[in-house]
Amino acid sequence: MIFFPWRRALRSTTVWFSLLVMLTFGLLAWLAPSIAPHDPYEGSFTQTRLPSMWVQGISKPGMPEYPLGTDSFGRDIFSRLIHGTRTAFFLVLTAVPLAALIGTLLGLIAGHAGGRLDAWIMLLTDMVSALPGIMFVVIIVLIFRNLLTPTWFNGLITLVVGFAAIGWVSLARLIRINVLQIKSKSFMEASVALGAAPWRIITRHLLPNVFHVMMIWIINNIPAVILLEAVLGYIGVDITRASDGGEFTVVSWGGMFFSGRSALSFNPLILIIPSLCILLISMSFILLGDFLNSVTRQEYER
Amino acid sequence: MTQFLLKKFLRMITVLLGVTLITFLLMHAIPGNPWSNYSNSPRMLLNLGIDQPLQAELNHRFGLDLPLWHQYTRYVVGDFNEDGSFFCGAVCGNLGPSIQQRGRSVQDILFAPPEEKTFWESRFGYSMRLVLLGSLIATGFGILLGILSVTRPKSTGTRISVGLAALISIPNFVLGLLTIIVLASGLKIMKVLPDWEYPSSWIVPALVLAVMPMAGIARVTHASLLNIMNEDYIRTARAKGLGRTRVMLVHVMRNALVPIITFLGPTLMEMFTGLLIVENLYSFPGFGREYWSAVLSLDYPLILGLTLIYATGIMLVNVLIEILSEILDPRIRSVKLQGVQG
Repeated sequence: MIFFPWRRALRSTTVWFSLLVMLTFGLLAWLAPSIAPHDPYEGSFTQTRLPSMWVQGISKPGMPEYPLGTDSFGRDIFSRLIHGTRTAFFLVLTAVPLAALIGTLLGLIAGHAGGRLDAWIMLLTDMVSALPGIMFVVIIVLIFRNLLTPTWFNGLITLVVGFAAIGWVSLARLIRINVLQIKSKSFMEASVALGAAPWRIITRHLLPNVFHVMMIWIINNIPAVILLEAVLGYIGVDITRASDGGEFTVVSWGGMFFSGRSALSFNPLILIIPSLCILLISMSFILLGDFLNSVTRQEYER
Repeated sequence: MTQFLLKKFLRMITVLLGVTLITFLLMHAIPGNPWSNYSNSPRMLLNLGIDQPLQAELNHRFGLDLPLWHQYTRYVVGDFNEDGSFFCGAVCGNLGPSIQQRGRSVQDILFAPPEEKTFWESRFGYSMRLVLLGSLIATGFGILLGILSVTRPKSTGTRISVGLAALISIPNFVLGLLTIIVLASGLKIMKVLPDWEYPSSWIVPALVLAVMPMAGIARVTHASLLNIMNEDYIRTARAKGLGRTRVMLVHVMRNALVPIITFLGPTLMEMFTGLLIVENLYSFPGFGREYWSAVLSLDYPLILGLTLIYATGIMLVNVLIEILSEILDPRIRSVKLQGVQG
């Protein structure tokens, strides 16, 4: 089995911090409907533009029913935040594995096959990485959002496709380089000499040896997806701005940035709270990735 | 060397062709047409669309009634005018007329400076200056922080790396909005709409642009320095009595620079992407701001032109970095040759 220093992991503060943050957000996402005090989609016409509950002594004081205030449609920000966690988790759990799958496959094929196939795949990676990433995703979202919005997870799938379309490139390159290094090892020569089929070489020898590269890439790219959604939401080219339903379709942190931009004067929390959530999640994944990196480096040096 | 450059040049042309083709196909797949997607025009707000004959006339004028393959070759190579004369396409630097900004060609929008100004006052020049300033800040402070996080005692180093993890996870538009709220409307140090003639007003946008790449560079520097410091020859150098600073500068830094420099390519790319957001935030007169409106209003030639410039910039940066890292570490070339043979 792969060596893993459980004891060192349990003694490390950063690992505890990361796991705690992930667990908290995971629970929030799972229990969202029962925790959230209000329906995140439904606004009230009387309680619009409320500040957070501890802001008192102005003409429109905050209310305890709406802990973080309401937006300009009278929707509870706290509930929207909690339901937004679900969106973020959905994206993380679909987009990153999809990109990882494509990247690993293409990287393995390019590295193992070599020759003309390798050249073509590398040309493709060069092309995709020369495209401006966010614009590429925006164009994909613009293409698909009118087609898919009513069904298919409220059009979130467009973001998944968009991220997978650009995200795989860096992983494919990493995996290819690793495969090239592994191919020069003697056990590979031995298995080729024994007449192993290419499929067997890939699944038995290459895949287990690049597995840790893939895992670390996944952990490092989870923040990227959340950030991407936030940026798209901020610009207003989100799935939440689909043709008819307007802002009421999907609750996401990116969408909160969009509405928070115009709400800065009465409630800056709409902007600050989701960015704090993103900061926490992203930091915990990065620190966990750092820890795993140091583990693999030590294993490599042993 | 000439062979190397020639090879790179050929590859660049191929990649650029592919990039334009991908962008071309994708942007034509966006539903709607340039005449219906006037998101910010008063005509659209008043619900005054363009009637059919006028739309057909406009389509014809911009060549949008041609089949797609013809439009693409028309853009890249060129086409014949109505009177039979030939005009050259993107290969000659003619990026076509802009659809939404009538009467101006794309290269005119991007590269032509306002009257009686230098090239650096054009949209492209403005963006270039901002990116240059940002990358100077990012690389300088990034490498410095990375060195500090290794050479300082362990507790400070940990603190620096946690701080870097925090910096890398703040979305840059949040940072930009915060600077506007705190510095512009709170403390009134900078203006909400700064005058770009003064160099002092460039500092804040460049910093906001540089924070994320800086943290990334610092993290890579940290990792690469740690890798090198564990090597045997570093211990030998210290053991034979060389000073700490000398070992750090001569032995460690020189070898650690190669991975750092290879990392600079993707990071500078990220900075171009950040440009799209930062320019929008500070209403900076660069080309990043054009990009959004071009995509949202389906200004086909402008989208293609901007993508072309972006891709060219990235390819050039990558080639530069490849050359630099080969100069710094001649071993790379031999490794690559082996890789080709094996």
